[in-house]
Amino acid sequence: MTNQIELSGVNKHYGAFHALKNINLSIAKGTFVALVGPSGCGKSTLLRSLAGLESISEGELKIAGELMNNVPPRKRDVAMVFQSYALYPHMTVEENLTYSLRIRGVAKADARKAAEEVAATTGLSHLLKRYPRELSGGQRQRVAMSRAIIRHPKAFLFDEPLSNLDAALRVHMRKEIRALHDRLGATSVYVTHDQIEAMTMADHVVVMRDGVIEQQGKPLDLYDKPANKFVAGFIGSPAMNFVPAVVSEDGKSLTVNLGSVKHKIAIDHQIQPGSKVTTGIRPEHIGVTAPGQGTFDVPVAVVESTGSSTFVTAETTPELTIVETGRGTARAGEAIGVIIDPSQLHLFDETSGVRL
Amino acid sequence: MSETTRNRLMLVIAIVMAAIYLFPLYWMYITALKGGSEMFATPPSFWPGDPQWGTFGYVWESRGMGRYLWNSLVIAVGAVTLITVLGVGCAYVLARYRNVWVDVGLFLILMLQVLPASLMVTPIFVGFSQFGMLNYPRLAVIIAIAAKSMPFFVVLVRATFMAVPMELEEAALVDGNSRVGAFFNIVLPLARNGILVSAILIFMQAFGEFVYSKSMIQAVDLQPASVGLNSFMGPNTNEWNNIMAYATMYVTPILAIFVLLQRRIVSGLTSGALK
Repeated sequence: MTNQIELSGVNKHYGAFHALKNINLSIAKGTFVALVGPSGCGKSTLLRSLAGLESISEGELKIAGELMNNVPPRKRDVAMVFQSYALYPHMTVEENLTYSLRIRGVAKADARKAAEEVAATTGLSHLLKRYPRELSGGQRQRVAMSRAIIRHPKAFLFDEPLSNLDAALRVHMRKEIRALHDRLGATSVYVTHDQIEAMTMADHVVVMRDGVIEQQGKPLDLYDKPANKFVAGFIGSPAMNFVPAVVSEDGKSLTVNLGSVKHKIAIDHQIQPGSKVTTGIRPEHIGVTAPGQGTFDVPVAVVESTGSSTFVTAETTPELTIVETGRGTARAGEAIGVIIDPSQLHLFDETSGVRL
Repeated sequence: MSETTRNRLMLVIAIVMAAIYLFPLYWMYITALKGGSEMFATPPSFWPGDPQWGTFGYVWESRGMGRYLWNSLVIAVGAVTLITVLGVGCAYVLARYRNVWVDVGLFLILMLQVLPASLMVTPIFVGFSQFGMLNYPRLAVIIAIAAKSMPFFVVLVRATFMAVPMELEEAALVDGNSRVGAFFNIVLPLARNGILVSAILIFMQAFGEFVYSKSMIQAVDLQPASVGLNSFMGPNTNEWNNIMAYATMYVTPILAIFVLLQRRIVSGLTSGALK
């Protein structure tokens, strides 16, 4: 398979600030890639570098096999959807859609036809004569998308396009963008700070922090085998529990330290005896049972129910979050037994945070 | 105090303030229409008993106002054109780039604004006479006004450009436009109102400019209306109705332009760009 976008050894400096550190990323044609990370991690900078709005300091950036390092945005043939949509306020929807075509000298009639076709697929046909200020948030979002689609670009770049929409619309648009991607057979790079968006939409997720790619891979691989503590805590909601633990002398078990509760758990692979580790376990992988019947007992501090699932916070240090499907039996102030499956434990080096 | 009473009180205060501010204008208009004796009547009359419309025609003819207003117009249009062409680019750069040198530039620009015309006129006069520019006195005045008013324009227009989101330009770049193309296609249309309003303010300033014109233009044929009005008034002047008629004809067009174009100032052109 050919790579539509290829980054090798990309670095970006803003004066003394090192925004992107040795980024290597290959994106195959037709892939939906999500760049995810906390704010300031460099994901937007990376996207803007792909668009040509930022120049990279070192490394190679190829789009469709051509070196793009010093090519201005207009010659890269990529389309970008901005967080704020960036619709031209002095142009109608139709003019917004056809702007890129008109610049390229496409005949007026052809541009109009293209706009009508795209508008028909995105449900904007009746809005072509309106101005952006007369549209709702969701409609503006569609215009921004359509403006990208109309060009048939080599790649779509999305910069947090859903963050200005309300929750219900966001879930809906998520599916719509993905469906659009599949229908167009496009190559998309999608920046988001919302790991759920990344997990649900992307074929390939890239987790970034402080300008470094912490891990990349298939969404479920990231969930099942996070490469380090940061990725483990970032992917999955509610976030993974992290508990300090000490490995026993024989290296076959470890003792987790929950403040009031200390418990020895067998582990399935050999680790440096006596070393200090951070144990991670996802809230949804902890089972709840009657006191005395589980791996160990914990006192319950808070119980929150969403109807479909129940979030239990245990009164330990550090706090333990447990997710139960359906209506839970736990009551605040009482104790519950928790069941921990050793195969579901993630072990990380206490200092470096690397997966063991 | 209830909300309505307070609002009414505020309204009354506003009306009183407006009346105080507008009184001289009102006085100018009615004095222009008064006859010789009514002008000096005690107590003064607040409405002309016998409006003398003929005063306007007489003043226009006898003072050669057509020529004066033409000169004012030439100077004002010249200055506005020069300032707009040079200032828009300058303001755009100052709005989009942010570094120490831009800050230094802005500071110097604001410093220029602080210096009064009466202080600047002597060095400018000497400099211009060295270059022989006083042979083209109206051009000399245009350049002097441009230098004086440019900072004001640049600062206003810079704020307008800063209100145009950077992302719109970036969208245009990604859409296939060049930097220059994005400026003319996207930024300039969106900043149009701000530029227009600033240009009108500059126009009104330049139309009434006095210090530079008085000092640099010796030939009566080339003097603008402000200098003409000044030469109308001597130490023993008593033809106040004629002077006021002159002032009326000088000021009313500017007032009209301002009232007409004021609507353009309030316009939600940029709304809808974001979110």
